[in-house]
Amino acid sequence: MEGSFLLPALVLVPLIGAIITLFMGGKRQKYAKYTAFVTTLVILAIAVVLLLADDLSAYDFSANWIDTAGVKMNLIFRVDGLSILMVFLTSVLVPLALVFSYKEGDRPNYFYTLLLAIEFGLLGVYTSADYFLFYIMWEVTLIPFYFLISWYGGPRRHYAAIKFLIYTHVASLVMLIGFFALGFEAAAINGAGVNFSFDYINSAVGGFGEVFQTLVFGLLFFGFAVKMPAVPFHTWLPDAHTEAPTAGSVLLAGVMLKMGSYGIIRICLENLPLGAVNWQNVMIFIGVLSMIYGAYACIAQRDLKKMVAYSSISHMGLVMVSMGCLSDIGIEFAIFQMFAHGLISAMLFMVCGWAGHSVGTREIPLLGGLAGKLPYFATFMMFAFMASLGLPGLIGFWGEFGIVYAFYEWMVANNVIYLLVLPLLSLLLTAGYYLWAMQRTLFGKLTDRIDLSKAHDMDRIEAIVLGALAFLVAIYGFWPDLALHYIDLYAIGFFGVI
Amino acid sequence: MIPIEYFLTFGAILFAIGAYGVLTKPNAIVVLMCIELMLNAANINFVAFAAYTSDPIGQVMVLMTISVAAAEVAVGIAVVLNSYKMKKTTDVNGLTSMRW
Amino acid sequence: MIVEYVWLVPLIPILCFVLVGFFGNHMHQGGGYLSIAGAAASFIISIAVSVEFWTSAAYTDPGYVTNSITWFSLGGHDVNLGYYVDSLACLVMLFASFISMLIFIYSLGYMGDQGGRKRRYFAEVSLFLTGMLGLAASSNMIEMFVFWELMGLCSYLLIGFWSFNHPEGDAKAINAASAAKKAFLVTRAGDVCLMGGMFVLFQAMGSLDYTVIFNTANLNAANPDTLFLASLLIFGGAIGKSAQFPLMDWLPDAMAGPTTVSALIHAATMVKAGVYLVARCFPLFVMNIDVMLFVGVIGGVTAFFAATMAMNNMNIKKVLAYSTLSQLGYMFLSLGAGGYLMALGMQSGDTALMAAGALGYTAGILHMANHAFFKGLLFLCSGSVIHSCGTEDMRLMGGLGKKMKITSITMLIGSLSIAGFPFFAGFWSKDLVLETALDAAGNGACGWIFLLLWFLGVVTAFMTAFYMFRLWYMTFAGEPRENAQKSHGESPHSMTIPLCVLSCFAFAFGFVLLFGFDGLFTIGLNADGLWQVGGVAGAGAVHYFLELFTNPYTYLTIILVLGAIFLAYLMYCKKTVDPGKFNKHGQAWLYKACASRWWLPEIYNQVSWKLGYGVAKCVDFFDRQVIDGTVNGLSNAVIGGGELARKAQDGNAHTYAGVVIGGAVALFAVALILFVVYGGI
Repeated sequence: MEGSFLLPALVLVPLIGAIITLFMGGKRQKYAKYTAFVTTLVILAIAVVLLLADDLSAYDFSANWIDTAGVKMNLIFRVDGLSILMVFLTSVLVPLALVFSYKEGDRPNYFYTLLLAIEFGLLGVYTSADYFLFYIMWEVTLIPFYFLISWYGGPRRHYAAIKFLIYTHVASLVMLIGFFALGFEAAAINGAGVNFSFDYINSAVGGFGEVFQTLVFGLLFFGFAVKMPAVPFHTWLPDAHTEAPTAGSVLLAGVMLKMGSYGIIRICLENLPLGAVNWQNVMIFIGVLSMIYGAYACIAQRDLKKMVAYSSISHMGLVMVSMGCLSDIGIEFAIFQMFAHGLISAMLFMVCGWAGHSVGTREIPLLGGLAGKLPYFATFMMFAFMASLGLPGLIGFWGEFGIVYAFYEWMVANNVIYLLVLPLLSLLLTAGYYLWAMQRTLFGKLTDRIDLSKAHDMDRIEAIVLGALAFLVAIYGFWPDLALHYIDLYAIGFFGVI
Repeated sequence: MIPIEYFLTFGAILFAIGAYGVLTKPNAIVVLMCIELMLNAANINFVAFAAYTSDPIGQVMVLMTISVAAAEVAVGIAVVLNSYKMKKTTDVNGLTSMRW
Repeated sequence: MIVEYVWLVPLIPILCFVLVGFFGNHMHQGGGYLSIAGAAASFIISIAVSVEFWTSAAYTDPGYVTNSITWFSLGGHDVNLGYYVDSLACLVMLFASFISMLIFIYSLGYMGDQGGRKRRYFAEVSLFLTGMLGLAASSNMIEMFVFWELMGLCSYLLIGFWSFNHPEGDAKAINAASAAKKAFLVTRAGDVCLMGGMFVLFQAMGSLDYTVIFNTANLNAANPDTLFLASLLIFGGAIGKSAQFPLMDWLPDAMAGPTTVSALIHAATMVKAGVYLVARCFPLFVMNIDVMLFVGVIGGVTAFFAATMAMNNMNIKKVLAYSTLSQLGYMFLSLGAGGYLMALGMQSGDTALMAAGALGYTAGILHMANHAFFKGLLFLCSGSVIHSCGTEDMRLMGGLGKKMKITSITMLIGSLSIAGFPFFAGFWSKDLVLETALDAAGNGACGWIFLLLWFLGVVTAFMTAFYMFRLWYMTFAGEPRENAQKSHGESPHSMTIPLCVLSCFAFAFGFVLLFGFDGLFTIGLNADGLWQVGGVAGAGAVHYFLELFTNPYTYLTIILVLGAIFLAYLMYCKKTVDPGKFNKHGQAWLYKACASRWWLPEIYNQVSWKLGYGVAKCVDFFDRQVIDGTVNGLSNAVIGGGELARKAQDGNAHTYAGVVIGGAVALFAVALILFVVYGGI
């Protein structure tokens, strides 16, 4: 056991918080939210300490976990330029999602337990540096999320929850096979026992044959692509989003989807460069398909949250394309877009989920003219939509800009410049569905199809949460280097090193 | 010495009769009796092989089987009796409540 | 060095935006005074910056002042954040901040009765001004694009200003919402082109700093095909923003916003950005002669078509909107013709042709500035009329000249100016534009196209004079009709004073041409072989006076303009000529085509509906039925298989026993077969 204890603390604090809130039933229920909030604030504080650190490697932690029968699994926690932003994103979004759902009245202690358990899993995924630990943490995120949907969700919650669980679980089993393949192949190459630590397997990369790499890349890619989600493995997402409670949607879109792209970069691209080259065209094809398919699907949606869910598919398609470019700049902006989309989609789901609660419906055809009656809601909705459609000066633009540029560089290198039409089309469609949705919900005649007598504007706490997110979106949009300089630590020279 | 094939053939015939009874007879008591026949078919084989190879372990197994069969018949008859008490029948075709 | 503080120019309005946006409800006039003060401060700083720049050594060499810091790095190349001041940037900053300031003052009166909405209004217009000023001061294209899109956002917000809680009811609100969406989407179509152009250029040049991408050596070193592609894509952005053919349709719809917003969009900001972009990218565009030809064709065609649409429209604001399109077309025609000549001159090394091309550039810039003044004036006048009558339909006006003296006179000045009446501002620039087009007609293989465009331009000049005076006579002359009778007279001073100030400029700004404007706003290769805006001595007053008035075509346009005014007078004031005779009382094919904007809106609707919603429906169907159907089908297959399999568990002991025995027999049979096939143990 060696190294700093800050990272294990970061991962364990939410677990402790989850256990405490779990036993806060009965009369103590009303204190559960304060306990959970304080816990998440502690996590946020640790994340900020990490963010301000000069040298991230100072926080490495490693310990033996299971070392038996020639198989070694380790407790290794580590952050670098890739994971630090994801850790920060998680630790920012969880308290905000938690505060935003402060009105949750149905068994609130379990609600907060589930949120903290999800945070435990997410932080574990983003900090672990051992395949087995990674896999366990990956599964840890699934179970509480399943319960979050099936206990606190909408009318079709059981269908959505079981679909989510089975879909992602099947994917992660395929991924587990990939992990075993990596572990045993690395052991064979290194000529020692099986060890699942990232470093140990990474040291064997030179010996992986092309066929092996291609096959294992396929397995892992499937596992991660379902999580991202990429068309055609995406249909669990809209259902999960429509049925999940607001806080769940925020975490799902904000950080859980990023586990997929994080895994592709961290595991596939780092360890299987030859496989990546063989799968490059598939990645780009799926990415472009997701972008355009998702954007078109958005236009046809009637449910605000479902529309935003499809927009997540479209935006994660950008990330996929960017990773598929297999260039430093592609990796750089894939990570940036993950971060950007995390912040923006959190806003989007908060706004749309709020509409469902307070206005009573999220059906776009039933809404209309809300801007006059609910000005705060309208402002934040417009802000979130504008950020998501890539308004320059907000964070979303830089992600799209960098990604399309990376894609263009790839096109030039492969002499297929005409493909530039596709990402540009998707940008145009994105603007189209958001503006159309705004026109139908916020503007025009105040709707008389639903009863608005009880609808009231956002209260102060909800506005502060959204304002905080808007501030982050704007500040990173004004000065993208705030995020990019962490990413550069990781991404610059990525493909030079391999 | 009688060749072993005779014993084996006899055991096989006995087993077949038992199996036939198990499959076709509706009465649960008869089914139990047919099961006894099949057990005894196995016992004959055991004894025959034990004598043929001069290995006493076969006879030990037969004794074992007989005691188990006795216990089994006790349990079986108890089950049949109880089912007769509850359903007023010993017809196995009527006792199908444990299906899907 | 106050030039170093030029970043304050866009910064002050955005601070006003933040302050007004958050605290406007606690301020007088919803923060209107603060917005005006912000615009005034920007204007004063712009003056100081401009004066200092034009008197500094940097003005003659290298012709610009720039400075920047690293923003972030993109693929190993730095993207910078900085300012770039040259004559063009100064001019745009000056007229944008000045006219915006006047419009804000005017808004105090025009929007005075809007209560709580004023906070939103003044915050948004301040942000709008930031967009234009930042666009002018940016030092590279990415930075410029940020402000470019910021203007797109503000136009969306302001065109849709009345898209909810409209004082005149829900129909207008729905209309405003639709117009705002259209404006943003159509300009967005151009913007993604511009973005594409930026990618192409960035990939080719490794930077988007003006000093790098417009450097002659870099331009010559780059692949000409790449530059051609980049130029076309960038011009696509200008087409969208400046509402040129075929992306012209959003601008007339944008009249759904408050009139002051229209004035802001048409005079000071937004549509001028496209012209600015083409002028800024002039060195890039002249690298390929076809690009400039394309620019000219788009400009000429737009000028003509937009003018035809204005001929029979009854909405006072829509007529002005079409006239904006038409005048923007003139600007692009001028830049295109000038660029065509410049490109020809560069190919053949003919300095005379290059000088003629530079004149086209000057004419385009001058027309942009002139247009800013007279179009701002015209919109504000129409706003004054609408404010007074409560309608936009000219058929309900008439005879307002007596009730609204100041408005009618200032509008007359504006109309004369836009019509190109001699010695008014529009005259100088418009005749220079036509002269450049004619000049281009005589040169190069594609000269005949410019001859056609010149002809369209001359016809447009006639039509412009006609429809502007049709508007003026219908509004201010003759008998007062319905709404005009209810008019409550002249507007308050906060509205008339800006009108008077603007009318002075609309009359007199053209004279700057005679006093060195051409020296400030010309473009050419300097002694180092680099592109430079301005920095040379002007040709002087006599030169242009002689040039214009010794040219027989100048007299041709003057006669046409006078004729058009006279025709309008006969038709709409004296009523001796019945316009119904020409249009078969609204039944003529041409009349219907003009009235329905050459069916462009229908085409747009059809295309966007089919390509957008139609495809979306198909995708949605595919998603639900095929993809989700497969997923659910798989799960149903598993469940159904289980349902089937559990039927085997029928509870009958006979069945179970049969299966056991059958299984044993089957196993035995298999073992036997294997035994036979593989031949014993």
